[in-house]
Amino acid sequence: MAVCIAVIAKENYPLYIRSVPTQNELKFHYTVHTSLDVVEEKISAVGKALGDQRELYLGLLYPTEDYKVYGYVTNSKVKFVIVVDSSNTSLRDNEIRSMFRKLHNSFTDVMCNPFHNPGDPIQSKAFDGIVSGMMVQTG
Amino acid sequence: MSVPDYMQCAEDHQTVLVVVQPVGIVPEDQFFKIYKRIASVSQVSIRDSQRLLYIRYRHHYLPENNEWGDFQTHRKVVGLIAITTCNSAKEWPQTAERFHGQKEVYSSTLYDSRLLVFGLQGEIAEQQRTDVAFYPSFEDCSDVEKRVEDFVESIFIVLESKRLDRATDKSGDKIPLLCVPFEKKDFVGLDTDSRHYKKRCQGRMRKHVGDLCLQAGMLQDALVHYHMAVELLRGVNDFLWLGAALEGLCSASVIFHYPGGTAGKTIGRKPSISQAADAGKRHRPGALTANGISADTSTEIGRAKNCLSPEDIIEKYKEAISYYGKYKNAGVIELEACVKAVRVLAIQKRAREASEFLQNAVYINLGQLSEEEKIQRYSILSELYELIGFHRKSAFFKRVAAMQCVAPTIPEPGWRACYKLLLETLPGYSLSLDPKDFSKGTHRGWAAVQMRLLHELVYASRRMGNPGLSVRHLSFLLQTMLDFLSDQEKKEVTQSLENYTSKCPGGMEVITLPDGLKLPPVPFTKLPIVRSVKLLNLPVSLRPHKVKGLLGQNISTASPFIYSPIIMHNRGDERCKKIDFQWVQGDVCEVQLMVYNPMPYELRVENMGLLTSGVEFESLPAALSLPAESGLYPVTLVGVPRTAGNITVNGYHTSVFGVTSDCLLESLPNVKTSGCLVEVIPSLPRLQLSTSLPRSAHTPQSKEELSSSVSVQLFNGETQQLTITLENIGSEDIESLELTSKIVNTKEKVFGEFLSWDLEDAVSHLPLKPGQAVTLTVCIKVKLDFSGQENLLQDLNDDGISVTGLPISSPLRQVLKPRPETKSVGEAEGNSGKPFHILEAVLNFKYSGGTGKVEGYYRELSLGVHVDVEPSVFFTRVSTLPATSTRQCHLLLDIFNPTEHELTVSAKNNQDLVLHASECQRMAIQVDKFDFESLPQPDQETVRFANPKQLEEERQHAQGCQINSKLGICWREASVEGVLNQLVLEHLQLAPLQWDVLVNGKPCDCDVIAECKVGDAVTLEVKLTNMSKNSVGPLALTVVPYQDFQNGVQNYDLEDAVTFIGSNTFHIDTVQPKESSVCVGALLFLYTGDFYLNIKFQDDSAGRELPLAWFTLPSVHVRALDTLLQAGA
Repeated sequence: MAVCIAVIAKENYPLYIRSVPTQNELKFHYTVHTSLDVVEEKISAVGKALGDQRELYLGLLYPTEDYKVYGYVTNSKVKFVIVVDSSNTSLRDNEIRSMFRKLHNSFTDVMCNPFHNPGDPIQSKAFDGIVSGMMVQTG
Repeated sequence: MSVPDYMQCAEDHQTVLVVVQPVGIVPEDQFFKIYKRIASVSQVSIRDSQRLLYIRYRHHYLPENNEWGDFQTHRKVVGLIAITTCNSAKEWPQTAERFHGQKEVYSSTLYDSRLLVFGLQGEIAEQQRTDVAFYPSFEDCSDVEKRVEDFVESIFIVLESKRLDRATDKSGDKIPLLCVPFEKKDFVGLDTDSRHYKKRCQGRMRKHVGDLCLQAGMLQDALVHYHMAVELLRGVNDFLWLGAALEGLCSASVIFHYPGGTAGKTIGRKPSISQAADAGKRHRPGALTANGISADTSTEIGRAKNCLSPEDIIEKYKEAISYYGKYKNAGVIELEACVKAVRVLAIQKRAREASEFLQNAVYINLGQLSEEEKIQRYSILSELYELIGFHRKSAFFKRVAAMQCVAPTIPEPGWRACYKLLLETLPGYSLSLDPKDFSKGTHRGWAAVQMRLLHELVYASRRMGNPGLSVRHLSFLLQTMLDFLSDQEKKEVTQSLENYTSKCPGGMEVITLPDGLKLPPVPFTKLPIVRSVKLLNLPVSLRPHKVKGLLGQNISTASPFIYSPIIMHNRGDERCKKIDFQWVQGDVCEVQLMVYNPMPYELRVENMGLLTSGVEFESLPAALSLPAESGLYPVTLVGVPRTAGNITVNGYHTSVFGVTSDCLLESLPNVKTSGCLVEVIPSLPRLQLSTSLPRSAHTPQSKEELSSSVSVQLFNGETQQLTITLENIGSEDIESLELTSKIVNTKEKVFGEFLSWDLEDAVSHLPLKPGQAVTLTVCIKVKLDFSGQENLLQDLNDDGISVTGLPISSPLRQVLKPRPETKSVGEAEGNSGKPFHILEAVLNFKYSGGTGKVEGYYRELSLGVHVDVEPSVFFTRVSTLPATSTRQCHLLLDIFNPTEHELTVSAKNNQDLVLHASECQRMAIQVDKFDFESLPQPDQETVRFANPKQLEEERQHAQGCQINSKLGICWREASVEGVLNQLVLEHLQLAPLQWDVLVNGKPCDCDVIAECKVGDAVTLEVKLTNMSKNSVGPLALTVVPYQDFQNGVQNYDLEDAVTFIGSNTFHIDTVQPKESSVCVGALLFLYTGDFYLNIKFQDDSAGRELPLAWFTLPSVHVRALDTLLQAGA
């Protein structure tokens, strides 16, 4: 399962980021931050070709030595990034897709909350729960 | 080969490598000057052909790398240009020796070499040598470029011959096996006769020829050779060389597809065709022959076949790299191939694929790299990522490079380099060091990584030994990342900031780095956060007022129109809006800020003051200490404007944690202000007021604010002196002084002048110098209406015209109300519970002086006067008794003394009446009736403008005065104005119908006895003059004679004694106002005696609605005398 899940606003600042080995959170910050380059590249490439009809799931953004970074962009340009451990080979593309879908649904719920101010960091417990379910269980 | 050349690009494959090196002692700057000139000759068109030769110059090249020259010929050093200085002929042999030594290094690959000698003159310099050029000095060497071109041409000749040599000897002897350095030992003992080996040799040679062709400018030939080489090498699984052949193919295709080059930065790489034509013309006009053209057409043929498509280039690069990857020792080649491929992809704008190549490049292991090489590698990765638009990745690697500069393994950490690299990462993290970019809207960028970077910048700058920089970065961190810092971090950051500032206080100056980057100042606008800025008006007593009516005051210059419905809206200028009060030069003025402390601990703000412009302003800084997470906290900043003009409050300055900041309001979008522009008027004097009466807490409820107020308790009618001392405590002379008063409490009707004074004396002391004082006496006189106290009164209504609850000072009480009603009103007024009446007034001192007066300003000082009025005397009942004459009457006053003291009341022509405490006595005064009609009428002007009610009041006031002057009732020194109500007035007033009775043509009244003779006809004339406003009549009068025996008996039976001549009834027709009517009758007295004539109205007379008192006629007393007696007398 995922080791890091991040939600990034349209303006490319993090709305939510959570990683499992919490002691080295900054590393994941860097990983997710640099992955935005690829996300942007992918969006711009697709945007030119197909207009609005694009797949939200961006697939593998880039593999690093230890991790694989997957991306997903909503129509409102909010980005979801899931980092999984490279060693976890059992995880298939479909599973990643379904994780993103779940994440998107939960994110939509957060946005539907009239008390949530779009652009603020996500503090929803429900969202947190969904994310926790997708994370690697440590311990 | 261990050092990769990261700057390589695909088109470098077609260049020949020339090393330019200094020999002996050459000043570095001079060397590089010459080097630059040499390097400018980067492409040379070769005579008699369309071909171009590209040259790559290096001033430093590892001989180790040179050994790979067979593998890729562009790695081979084929030319050497040595630069040397030689001052005398003696040194020459030594120099030449050195040059040869230098040549030895690259001897195995060198085609040709040149020596440029500077400074040598004379015999040796005269000799013509092809390989040596002499120049007298570094300045005087105009033909260096020409020399280099010649040199390049000579290289070309060698190159071309080698190419032809290699290309043609297909069938000749054994083809030598070309190999890379690390392969040499592998081939020891290999069967050189095997087919496999031969193929390998052929393939490698093909590839080599391809390289040479490419260098020699024969692109198509090169492509053909490469293709063949690929075929051959693929067959023998010679992967390293297969990779090289593929890469050569790619390079050639790239050169074909992208004549502009892929390096991007490479300067001076002009489009080859035009350059060729250009160069050709320059060297040999007309040299462009059919030869060139035919060569050109030949290249056209087969282009499509041999050249790779852009997509294929990438595929082949991938393949080549994968082959290189099989050899550990070819890491540098692989890495360079990756870099070249990335550059090509960048041109093709295929960033994602490029990133894959880069990703691969990251993992290429080059064995043990030195720290410097690591830094170089990360930097180049960063640059390449930048090239493909991956700014974040680029920033990441740059940061890694920066960290590498100061890795713990490095004995001398390069903090400067680290800092410089870190600065370069800023754009990648969308971080600018200008706090203005963060003041608007939401935070941009990834706070966590930005914070990290800032921390690193702080640390690096500190280790660089530039505490000023660290303070600046730390301030920036604190200012822009405040929302993202945890409480603990806030504490740490501020602590370290305080540590740094103790050595180097932070300021507002722009820090310019050596490389030109400017670090703008970071004002702490969030420490504390200011929510609103409000300029405060001066205290009431110090506010300046403009003398009204001065010309040009309200004329707006904004528009040429007197009126326009279009309002000039300047929304943006709200901050600049002028505030409608003024400050005064030299007087302390205040600005109130609402601030709060966002920090989790107490915040000490020192030296907080105002930033202003427009006027010389002396700011008086304040220090404050804000509790942790405080709510809004008001802070007042003060200052003194020193000159007059318009002052703008631009912001404030603070000193927090040792960092001084100038916070400008315009850069604080969240601050509420109601305008920041105030006019400062020239200085005005200041007046201080002290009074002889005690100050009071009671302040008259007036709209304006008062500077002070006094209170006193007085009996009604009493007078009190109030001495006011006015002292000039300012610095300007007081040149004018005015005093006005205003009664505040208008509920009570005040009679007479409440406050009176004589300003003459005080004014005579003007101008009042600073420090001087002047005194002024004000008389307080209270004359009040004490109505509504009728519960004290007894009803003594015995003659029908008594009035209770008579206000003693209320001539203005107009309506006579029925008693019960009056009573209820009295209760409603609530005076019964309140022992005193309160009278309040405001004394207004207007004064001015100094330059402010010239500008038309003055100041006002107001003194509230509060008087508790105690009741003194009451007229509990007023009634009139008719006197003997119709023109007079008796006024009866019941006077009540509600005080606890004895008092004396005096009236005109009367004895003093002594009243003991709470005593009530009656006083009778005989008064003449009044003829109010004789009062002066208000002139027409005022009549026109005043409303009827006012007129009525005025009239009644005048009446009151008249009554008062006639009565002259006095209590103590104060005259009590006996004021009567309407009903009493009716009795005191002369009736408007004036009746005159004339007997024998003589007027007669009560006291006058008309005399007549018995037997004579006595004419009786009754004249009615109508002074009222309405017509009167018709009336019927009956004259009844009677005799009064003076004992209460009246004899009306006088038919024998008196006869009427004619009727005893008179008729008076309607009398119009201001007219009179006379009716005449006659009487005949038959006997002597005293007779009275009673003139009565008949019942049917129309005077019902008119007051009875109007119809009182004087009774006529007639004394009939004997005629004889008369005659006898």
